[in-house]
Amino acid sequence: MRITVSSAVLLALAIPVPAFAQTDPARTTVQALDDGLIAIMKAKGTVKSRSAAIGPVIDRAFDLPLMTRLAVGSGWTTTAPADQQALVAAFRRMTIAQYANNFDSWSGERFAIAPQIEARGGDKLVRTTLTTSGKADIPISYRLRASGGTWKIIDVFYRNSISQIATRRSDFATVLAKGGGKALIAHLDALAAKGDF
Amino acid sequence: MTIPLLLPAVALIATPAQEQTAPPPASPVVAPAPVAGSAPVIDLTPPVADSRAASTSAPIPEFADPLSDPETAAPAAVGETPFRATAVDPNRADPLEGFNRAMFGLHQALDKSIYRPLAMGYQHVVPKPVRSGLRNFFGNLTEPVVFLNYLLQFKFGKAAETLARFTINSTLGVGGLFDIAKTKDFNLPHRNNSFGDTLAYYGVGPGPYLFLPLMGPTTLRDVLGGPLDGAVLPLAVGKPFSDWRYQLSSGAISGLDLRAESDPELRALFGGAVDPYATLRSVWLQNRAAEVAGLRHRRADVQSPSELDDPLRDPGGPTVAAPESDARELQDPMADPAAPAPAEMPH
Repeated sequence: MRITVSSAVLLALAIPVPAFAQTDPARTTVQALDDGLIAIMKAKGTVKSRSAAIGPVIDRAFDLPLMTRLAVGSGWTTTAPADQQALVAAFRRMTIAQYANNFDSWSGERFAIAPQIEARGGDKLVRTTLTTSGKADIPISYRLRASGGTWKIIDVFYRNSISQIATRRSDFATVLAKGGGKALIAHLDALAAKGDF
Repeated sequence: MTIPLLLPAVALIATPAQEQTAPPPASPVVAPAPVAGSAPVIDLTPPVADSRAASTSAPIPEFADPLSDPETAAPAAVGETPFRATAVDPNRADPLEGFNRAMFGLHQALDKSIYRPLAMGYQHVVPKPVRSGLRNFFGNLTEPVVFLNYLLQFKFGKAAETLARFTINSTLGVGGLFDIAKTKDFNLPHRNNSFGDTLAYYGVGPGPYLFLPLMGPTTLRDVLGGPLDGAVLPLAVGKPFSDWRYQLSSGAISGLDLRAESDPELRALFGGAVDPYATLRSVWLQNRAAEVAGLRHRRADVQSPSELDDPLRDPGGPTVAAPESDARELQDPMADPAAPAPAEMPH
């Protein structure tokens, strides 16, 4: 009698622990992005339809305004508010188009999210692996920061070493140094018009 | 013409590796950030600061940049001052940018008119099994160099694995045409290693970034190591490796194959880039720095993530204590991997 009661108590205590560990909010964000990517890969369709499908997922998963500010860097403070908005919009369009272009078909790809989530200075790091049969696994890690009550991605690392923010900073630096925010907007618009995104 | 350009570069290469993320270069030149942050700081954890700084010896690339939101920079700057520049800093890593950009332009023109059409033609005409057979064959012939460099780095386990791989593929793999060693039965995949890696392993810095036509992105250190890699087989074996006709044809086949195989990735990389030259440089240098870090730190995968080293400060903050852009590429030696802190100050 006593034994059953105590084991029931133990059971009740034990169950929520692993269940809670599973639902790290940072992990949930990455899981939602991965699910969205698998969905558009399976749906195939056109770049346009994939963009429409992945756009809202990306808006929820990424802190696109912060990523834009980080990529632009210190010049952000001296950029006119209207230009700041245009830069965020261009960065968003670019991000969505890259995912829509690159995740265009599905041949058994899977994302695996590592159970351990590392943290430092308020940021979290979620490691994932993109698995394709017959090809080497590709590690992709996401750095997240809390924003407005949710955890949002602020940087993506390809093969755990190539930072998207670092790459974009390099990509933007010369244009920003020569022509400021307006020149960068013009360049991004030209890329968009070319149809790459 | 290029010699005067390279002379100062030779001096640079002798300086300690920027890629070695462990002991930061400690250059006062780089960071105005400490000045800005150190003054009115309320350091909540004064005794911890030392141990955190000490923990830098285990760098995690993903944490290298503090990624401070420019809009809320000031609070983040507090107590996180000593960020130091890493090799990723695009401005510091490319003193020969003018020369490199000219070479990049030349390379792109050659690529468009000759190199890419030839490569795509090769891919189109030569059947896939033949291409992969040739790729495996020439790849197998690089294994002695990999083996030698593992020996030079006193990594005898890896050297033995490389020797086993070379032996298996040279015999069971029919002279290297088939990469049998990488299959599950043997699980001995190819690993990159070169004299450039050995130099890096012993602390030789990368020197200036270089972009050379047909060779692509490299650094002075790696470009100096290249001839040594190429000399191993001709010196050790002689013919046919010492024959210029062999060297030319093997170089041409490997080069065309690599160009064709990487075409989709290059198109994706350049297609979305505002500045393809700078994008390629950044991606290549980040990848190379990670390779070298992996070679130098045996327990690379055990370490806490350096993906969080950069504070990523928001440049749009109202109280920009450290407005200098240098902070963005700075490494955070004060990282506390244990802090579970939720939103530190979400504006």
